[in-house]
Amino acid sequence: MTGRADETTPVNSHAKIPFGFLRLVEGPQTMGRGWPFWTGFAIVILLAFLAPTYFGIRPYRVNEFIVSGFLAASLSILWGYAGILSLGQAAFFGVGGYVFGIIGINLFDATGNTHLALAGGILAPTVFAAFVGAIMFFARLKGVYIAILMLVLSLLLETFMLQTADPEVYRIGEALLGGANGLRPASDIPSVAFGWGEAVAEINGRREGFYYFALTLLIVVYLGLRMLLNSSFGYLLVAVREDPDRTETFGYDVRLIQLAVFCLSAALAGLAGSLDTARINRVDPELVFSVSANIMVVIWVAVGGRKDLTTAILGAITLEWLYLWLTTSGSPEYATLVMGGILVAAMLIAPEGVFVWIGNRLGRLFGRSRTPAAKAAEARQ
Amino acid sequence: MDAFTQIFGFAFQYLDSAAYLILAALGLSIIFGMMGVINMAHGELMMIGAYITAFCMYGGIPAPIAILLAGVGAGIAGMILERLIIRHFYKQLLSSLVVTWGLSMIISQVFLIMFGPNMPSLPTPFSDIKILVGGEVGFALVGAEGFARVTGETGRMPPGVESFGIYRLVMFAVAVLMVVAVWLLLRKTEFGARARATMDNPTMANALGISTPRIYAYTFGLGSALAGIAGGLFALTSAITPYFGAAYTARAFITVVVGGAAGVINGLVASVAALGGVQTILSNLFSVYIGFVGMIAAAFLILLVMPTGISGYMEKLRGRSR
Repeated sequence: MTGRADETTPVNSHAKIPFGFLRLVEGPQTMGRGWPFWTGFAIVILLAFLAPTYFGIRPYRVNEFIVSGFLAASLSILWGYAGILSLGQAAFFGVGGYVFGIIGINLFDATGNTHLALAGGILAPTVFAAFVGAIMFFARLKGVYIAILMLVLSLLLETFMLQTADPEVYRIGEALLGGANGLRPASDIPSVAFGWGEAVAEINGRREGFYYFALTLLIVVYLGLRMLLNSSFGYLLVAVREDPDRTETFGYDVRLIQLAVFCLSAALAGLAGSLDTARINRVDPELVFSVSANIMVVIWVAVGGRKDLTTAILGAITLEWLYLWLTTSGSPEYATLVMGGILVAAMLIAPEGVFVWIGNRLGRLFGRSRTPAAKAAEARQ
Repeated sequence: MDAFTQIFGFAFQYLDSAAYLILAALGLSIIFGMMGVINMAHGELMMIGAYITAFCMYGGIPAPIAILLAGVGAGIAGMILERLIIRHFYKQLLSSLVVTWGLSMIISQVFLIMFGPNMPSLPTPFSDIKILVGGEVGFALVGAEGFARVTGETGRMPPGVESFGIYRLVMFAVAVLMVVAVWLLLRKTEFGARARATMDNPTMANALGISTPRIYAYTFGLGSALAGIAGGLFALTSAITPYFGAAYTARAFITVVVGGAAGVINGLVASVAALGGVQTILSNLFSVYIGFVGMIAAAFLILLVMPTGISGYMEKLRGRSR
């Protein structure tokens, strides 16, 4: 097919539809394109926004799933797109959560908002990732080593945080690290609050407000990441994943690309951690640094489909929902067992992810309806 | 405390942490060295060994036999896992990491559901026999009677005397024996020759009539059996819980990675010597936590200088001098 023919036969592409801006958020790096996907997307979003009012979902439960969506997205861009597996993704989540809490406790009374806390909760893990990542990537450590070193790092943080019960030593301003009990005083950990002076909107993490706020933010982040992944940076990430040596011969510094995506991923995880601390006004070492915190992230992304942003986020939300249902209707032990079983089964049966498999099926279903038109276009040439 | 007591105490701790690292890492290092797979369920295989040992000993079976049975049981469990699941992931290292992590989660949850959060603890063997060092005693190996005589009526140790349990030294001896046995197995037997051929060049080995899948299964079984034995030995000194193994996997992994895959046994020994030393010194000077952090930092530094581990580095040096 020549370039000219491409311009005059827009049947295969979707340039014909009047939503030209969609071209920014779709491309070969993300699943879902054209009207069928975006119509479905719009319907899902609409239903999600109506859900608290009409379908009786309880925000204090569901809010957690949305926060998980950010964390899943952070591992998806790192592992799925750039091919760097981290088994300790919750470490960045935890650092973000702790920093948000510490800054919030100290500054909330003075400023009345959590702008700085949120910025700190995103920046601190990014800087941390830049430091750790620089050492790991510039030493050209093997992927397997990076994966496990990140887990070890998270467990080190857990061990350290567990022994910070002494209020005399482990105190940062008003905030006490509090050992196994988590950051204290817990009543002073603020919810997310925006605005200045009188006009401050404080968003209670257990209510509908947080649900709408976090959902909107997730959609914005999702669309933003889709743009990024379909830009030349996204292509570079996939190039690094598929063949680092060849990418290097093209003149790119693979280590810098890896470091960049590592920091971006840490920033996203930090955002998730900050939101989570604000949601429940609590953060403790077991919740954010333990093996089970880390393995859950990997399960969401591996089962949902690591190589696509949409499937990874869907994986997090569905599996969190399932986990909650299993915990409340059965017991936590069985819920954890089922999660492990789902992971192993998915790795064997659908190694690319359950939602990727479903998405491909759906794509074929809707693709078929276009086939006659596409054939006509070919015939015209 | 005099100098001799201090030096003895130091050496004792060094042997203790070396034994700990060797036992935790030997099985993992064979599996990693032969197939390049990091088995995240390694700690859970140790846990299986610990449970088998515990059940055997509750039933009155003496400790050495119970520990051997633990090795057999964990070996069989490892071979089943390899055949059913792990063999599908030999070509995808990151996926094998994730899938074995999932397996570790399943195994520990099954044990938690079946046997509850903890088991009655086992008696430590040779707990009567102690080494006393320093003070007026000098140096003595005493049984229960001798110990009572030294402590006298007060039941307290005379000033300057330190006592050391002998089981730690037994563990070190067993660890050394296991390393020697594995070395002999890999170097002097036909299985060892086939295994090394498979490791070196699987396609060629297969062409020469070696069944590489079977070699992989046996090697995985061997690594798992060593994990089971280690778990049995550890079960006699610590609390037995379903999460028993998790503490060992990270340390074992670090030891193996620092050792490198080029020479399974010599790499492991060098790595244990280095990391055990760092851990002992830092734990003594500061705290156990700093000791662990220092060990990881040392591992990091070693990997920066020698990305293929100590054995890979030694091989490179040898290649250069040739």
